[in-house]
Amino acid sequence: MIKILPKADLATTIDQWRVEATVYAPVRQEEVVGFQPLTGSGNGCFTLDANSRYPPKSLFLPQSEALFRVAGSDLEPVEGDLSERIVFGIRPCDARACQLLDGVFAGTEYTDPYWSEKRRHTTLVALGCTDPCETCFCTAVGSGPFDSRGADVMLTDIGEVYVAQADTAQGEALLSRLQDASQEQIDASSQAQAEARAAMARPFELDGIRETLYGLFDDEFWYDVQQPCLGCGVCTFLCPTCHCFDIVDEAQRGERVRNWDTCMFQIYSQEASGHNPRPTNVERTRQRIMHKYAYFGELYDEVGCTGCGRCVRYCPAGIDMRQIIRSSQSRG
Amino acid sequence: MDELAQAIRAEAARLLAEDVVDVVIGFQAGSLALRPQPAFFTDASGVDTLIYNGFCQNNLATYLARRSREERVGIVCRGCESRAIRVLVSEHRHDREGLYLIGIPCEGIIDWRKAEREAGLGPGGFAEVLSVSEQGDEVLLSTRRGEYRLQRERVLHDSCKRCAYPDPVGTDITLGEPAGADAREPRWGLVDAFEALSPEERYQSFVQEAERCIRCYACREACPMCYCTECFVDYTTPRWAESMITPSGTHAWHIIRAFHQTGRCASCGACERACPMDIKMTYLTDKLDRDMLEQYDYEVGAAEGAPPPFATFTLDDQDQFVR
Repeated sequence: MIKILPKADLATTIDQWRVEATVYAPVRQEEVVGFQPLTGSGNGCFTLDANSRYPPKSLFLPQSEALFRVAGSDLEPVEGDLSERIVFGIRPCDARACQLLDGVFAGTEYTDPYWSEKRRHTTLVALGCTDPCETCFCTAVGSGPFDSRGADVMLTDIGEVYVAQADTAQGEALLSRLQDASQEQIDASSQAQAEARAAMARPFELDGIRETLYGLFDDEFWYDVQQPCLGCGVCTFLCPTCHCFDIVDEAQRGERVRNWDTCMFQIYSQEASGHNPRPTNVERTRQRIMHKYAYFGELYDEVGCTGCGRCVRYCPAGIDMRQIIRSSQSRG
Repeated sequence: MDELAQAIRAEAARLLAEDVVDVVIGFQAGSLALRPQPAFFTDASGVDTLIYNGFCQNNLATYLARRSREERVGIVCRGCESRAIRVLVSEHRHDREGLYLIGIPCEGIIDWRKAEREAGLGPGGFAEVLSVSEQGDEVLLSTRRGEYRLQRERVLHDSCKRCAYPDPVGTDITLGEPAGADAREPRWGLVDAFEALSPEERYQSFVQEAERCIRCYACREACPMCYCTECFVDYTTPRWAESMITPSGTHAWHIIRAFHQTGRCASCGACERACPMDIKMTYLTDKLDRDMLEQYDYEVGAAEGAPPPFATFTLDDQDQFVR
């Protein structure tokens, strides 16, 4: 189904959506853009000229989430908000990340109810990237600026209107009231998509990356690339596909909670005995890269990186994932 | 700037060639134009990639805690780095003999986010700066959309605008011409402004900043003073702070982090530059620095060998509790 969403009608369309669902969109607070539920009406409430800094995976895997509560000698479920949600303006890299994480949290072997329920009640309206950033590298990791995997609707900006393509029943239901796109509009959207894709730099090829990284497992390479690393959690917490969590009993709250965790923290793999199988930043850096580019592939046959570039842009030590992959290939 | 970079390179090459040090910590170009990267040089022939410019935003002293104490380290130092190292030496973290301080004057660090914003490239948006150059009082950004000429003073990091000590202290060699000690903005301007608020406004302001925190601890890791092998926030028995990104958890982190900096913070602002969420935190540490100056006449890192006030006591202390 291919419809059009005129920009002039965007605010009223979103208002219509808001009658039946909570609409999340990228909102600028101070200088930081993040997905927030829209409370007001009009285009001024959200911003579409920048991707969110904080990854929208948090809509399904909140950074801190109570799993259950202790009440006397009983355990009580924590009622999550399972109202219908529409996420407007999510970028293809982030929607694709949700799809990759479905493999982890809603795969054939395990189903995480907390993730799955939220996913089931959420429609993702993705905005394709006609103007990708210098730090974007989605095409290098098997995706692209208009990759619709994970999204229910893909919007293509062709000037006055967005061409809206629905790929799922949820998406089709959402677009049902909109006008059909004309052939010229569909052609214009195909052209815009092709141009964006062609304009993107392709920093590396994925061929043989798994073997390359396994070959370097015990190499000095990891010492070299990790030297500037501060060992903070910026790259992993801003990453749309990092999904490790730590389960904590918050005794004062009477809750068992899970928080995002990161392999870059020393405490992540610290064992109660005092032993740490990843004792230094060298092993931890290797884990971060290999999880995405080798181990994730073993499990799901995909690269666990969607090329959003947040880790590149916000690393306080200027470490660049693209550079690490390139160096591994020239070394290995 | 290029002349200064040449001089640093030559000194680094000499130190390595003459086996004065095992490693020189400096900067090299990063993959993004606005983001030079800390770099570690172990061979005189490899120093050609060493650079220095106003975008070198890390406090290199933070890397000392990550190196072996047996290693002899040469380190490029601006004012804040050299004062941080003095504190680290006074806290017996490092033997001064094992360090070789290559002092350089500092014209202030350019805040890459401000530069992008000033050029209208969209906050949090598109990293399109392709190349950059500093030309006197101006910074020239070249992007896909054209060139932008910015006033250097306008895009300096806030901490650098208030810096009263841009020149390095206690170095083994100092390159370049002294930067001079006139801060561009009143040193305690931020503290004055914060203190002028009502308690409710102060709390609101604190909450607004702290609650954006995602507990990535980039502030901690970027800070030369945060070298504990186990941070209070990582303790599980007892647990000092809620583990979550709740108000309780984030407030506790920001307050206790600042507290542990009392009499130790060199005001370099590396914490704010590292923060991925643009959280302001130097108003807290500036306040502590001013308290230390007013109450203990102690200026962090200003005097060689000055004992850290909170790590010393005397039997004739006027306060009863020490006796």
